[in-house]
Amino acid sequence: MRRDTGWWLLIAPAFLLLTLVYIAPIAQVLAISVMEPSPGLGNYERLFTSESVQRVIVTTLRICIITTAIALLLGYGLAYVIALATERARRWWLLAVLVPLWISVLVRAFAWVTLLRRQGVINEGLIAAGVITEPLALVWNETGIVIGMVHYMVPYAVLPMLAAMREVDPRLLAAARGMGASRGFAFSRVFLPLSMPGVIAAGVLVFIFSLGFYITPALLGGGRTLMVAEWIKLQILDLLRWGLGAMMATVLVLAILATLVVFSRLVNLRRLFGGGA
Amino acid sequence: MSHALALHGVTKRYGNFVAVDRVSLDVAAGSFLTLLGPSGSGKTTILMAIAGFTVPDAGRILLDTKDITALPPEKRDFGMVFQGYALFPHMTVAENVAFPLRVRGMGRAEREDKVRAALDLVQLSALGDRRPQQLSGGQQQRVALARALVFDPALLLLDEPLSALDKKLRAELQEELRALHRRVGRTFVNVTHDQDEALSLSDQVAILNHGKLIQTGEPAALYERPATRFVADFLGKSNFLEATAEGGVLHLGGLDLAQADAPASGPVLLSLRPEKIALLADGETAANVAPGKILSWSYLGAGYSLVVDTPMGPLRASLPSWRAPIAPAEGLAVRLGWAADAAVAVAEDPA
Amino acid sequence: MNGGHGPGGGHGPGPFARGIAWATALYLLLPLSIVLPVSLTDQRFLSLPKHDISWQYYHNLFTSPLWLDAMAQSFWIACAATAIAVICGTLCAIGCWRLARRSTEVIRALMLLPLIIPSIVYAIGLYRYFAWAGLLDTFLGVALAHGVTGIPYVIVTVSTALAAFDPRLEQASRGMGASLRQTLAWVILPRIMPGIVSGGIFAFIHSWDELLIVLFIASRNVYTLPRRIWNGINENLDPTMAAVAVLLIGMTLALLLLDMALRRRREG
Ligand SMILES: Nc1ncnc2c1ncn2[C@@H]1O[C@H](COP(=O)(O)OP(=O)(O)OP(=O)(O)O)[C@@H](O)[C@H]1O
Ligand SMILES: [Mg+2]
Repeated sequence: MRRDTGWWLLIAPAFLLLTLVYIAPIAQVLAISVMEPSPGLGNYERLFTSESVQRVIVTTLRICIITTAIALLLGYGLAYVIALATERARRWWLLAVLVPLWISVLVRAFAWVTLLRRQGVINEGLIAAGVITEPLALVWNETGIVIGMVHYMVPYAVLPMLAAMREVDPRLLAAARGMGASRGFAFSRVFLPLSMPGVIAAGVLVFIFSLGFYITPALLGGGRTLMVAEWIKLQILDLLRWGLGAMMATVLVLAILATLVVFSRLVNLRRLFGGGA
Repeated sequence: MSHALALHGVTKRYGNFVAVDRVSLDVAAGSFLTLLGPSGSGKTTILMAIAGFTVPDAGRILLDTKDITALPPEKRDFGMVFQGYALFPHMTVAENVAFPLRVRGMGRAEREDKVRAALDLVQLSALGDRRPQQLSGGQQQRVALARALVFDPALLLLDEPLSALDKKLRAELQEELRALHRRVGRTFVNVTHDQDEALSLSDQVAILNHGKLIQTGEPAALYERPATRFVADFLGKSNFLEATAEGGVLHLGGLDLAQADAPASGPVLLSLRPEKIALLADGETAANVAPGKILSWSYLGAGYSLVVDTPMGPLRASLPSWRAPIAPAEGLAVRLGWAADAAVAVAEDPA
Repeated sequence: MNGGHGPGGGHGPGPFARGIAWATALYLLLPLSIVLPVSLTDQRFLSLPKHDISWQYYHNLFTSPLWLDAMAQSFWIACAATAIAVICGTLCAIGCWRLARRSTEVIRALMLLPLIIPSIVYAIGLYRYFAWAGLLDTFLGVALAHGVTGIPYVIVTVSTALAAFDPRLEQASRGMGASLRQTLAWVILPRIMPGIVSGGIFAFIHSWDELLIVLFIASRNVYTLPRRIWNGINENLDPTMAAVAVLLIGMTLALLLLDMALRRRREG
């Protein structure tokens, strides 16, 4: 309609910028994956034939699943306590979640390196205390990656679960206890099922964020344990195998979109990204 | 200078749903028109089309002789009081009232004069520095009026301006609104679902139902001569008598009815207002008499409302309570009477 | 929100849940706090202070042209990116809010893509794309990339603010003759300013911390703070890094507190 032109013009700058500076480069990645080194699906065949491709996918999935499971478990406990806390206590608990969320991921990885490396604070402390004689291998392996990734993901797990838990009427728990249910019974039969949509949303969020995560695995994995994001970087910057890297990037995007589509049937994903109206 | 407004066959659809169905209206320059109808009858939609916020799917809207159907709202120069007032919460009362002047690029000094005059008009001069949240409902309503009138709009549109107020305040502001209309001499178009407000404020009332215009006219004419059952029922209370005419005489429940200008034959629907039915004393008579027994009654302060079981069916009658000739009681035998011109024939509404 | 529903109708969480929650909170916060003592170490390598605390690494940091230059570059890039994200994101959120069609819902979902698609995918795409456009290793290129990926933060906060905005105010303004520009400037923007500022803060932090895109599209000219830190961690793990970390944590805390104060003012 003609009289809406002005409002469409407001959308135009963001839309143009997104199309030209965001969507176009990404579309190019998709194109490269079927165009280089030669047109066709050759790169995608490597998914079935190349052992190194399969290995990186398996490693990534394993680390993502472990990370998601631990982050959900820790996040659930934290969210549960926050949801049932008094108004004042809740503010402090929330701060404990939000501060790490916004602190630079590099700074966090750096702090973990400081703590976990062979001459790090933990190993030195344990040796000084006489608990161990040889330093433990806490970083530059899969353990280090998981420790750092869970640390990054817990806040993302807490927020959707907390939102779902706060919608549970706390009188229901009181009612269940009042009818003679034990704390554990009331929790597992009343609270847990009602907070399940939040758990699923949190799981989806953490899983898709973990899939493409670069900085923490690269720093704490020390180049020995490769996840897809670092593998893609390696293919492109170091080995100049654009087609293969772009193929993996495409697979990564498709995996994330597929996860979102599948789970959008189960939970309202709009809430995850603060859909506003 | 005031302007006349005309709607020709205005229609608005939302999908398959027809919210406004071929409504045509004429509003004389300087008059006060009220759109009256139940919730969902399309009143706001018509007002929004007049204001330019919605574009009708068919039909034309004319201001004097100029077609304004496609003109955007900011070009129409209409004042509007919104349902809930829509005062800007981040501006003071004076800034709110100055807004339309600022929009028109008016100089500061002139603006302040006009704002002061407009606030005087609604008796709020002392509150110019307050924020809308710090005002009572009635005061907010007056700020909204001042803001709508300050730029001398061609037309003033009011969407349920009084519905958010309590009953007593509403009555007071009705008076004020009426006086204001006389003072500024502009054309007002008001929307309400409150029949008392419509009757007491307006020069003209347009009755709407299901998006259709049912009847327009002056308040008294609508009340005394409703065209359809819906109008008679919506404006005040009414008994409906479904009689049959035969050779110029009306029959109902085994009784004959004396009715002025009755048709020669066929079914006739009569609307008979409760206050036009009298309780007959012994020996008193009337053009129409129906004996009966009181089924139920209620006390309303100024009068009683009775439901009397008669051979024509239950009839509602009202009885002044001051020195009432009887003390109402269930089962009490009474005689009801009314004049030959008390009832009016009305049409059934199309489904 | 009905804030007051206290501890589960008198039934707080059990000891097990409490234990997990405390352990998790410590796990989230303690590793971060370790950088403060390490930054004050008197040793030559990353460790806790042995004999005395020392400010030498802060002195290093504030006298090193490399670190100062990186901070200045990051700051200006973040300012430019924030300006891009705030202007585009705010206007877009307002347009989508007002038009409210299925098509604008799709547009708004598209705007959130940078939150969902991993940076690595965008970074490799941009590497090729900017090489072709001649924007590799330029201030403009990095600011554009950070700006466009900062838009979703602004869209989210502004959309939330708009959800609480009474649409009749906009109609009232138009009805009184205000143009779209006047309505935006005098009615809509002042009402949603806290949301815009929040979005701006998040867009700024996003750009200030962003590493992966920069790793791909910058080389000699553009050397941002995260890139310097990245190289520091990979190469020489010097305690100056701990001082940088403390500085960054302090800045993030300050911005978060600012955001919280603004929110409280808006709600209060
Ligand atoms: N934007 C819209 N989309 C779909 N249907 C609408 C829209 N606006 C109004 N309607 C429908 O049109 C009909 C008339 O609405 P309108 O708001 O004009 O009623 P109204 O007479 O003002 O009622 P009320 O007294 O409750 O304010 C209603 O049934 C309403 O549901
Ligand atoms: Mg209405």
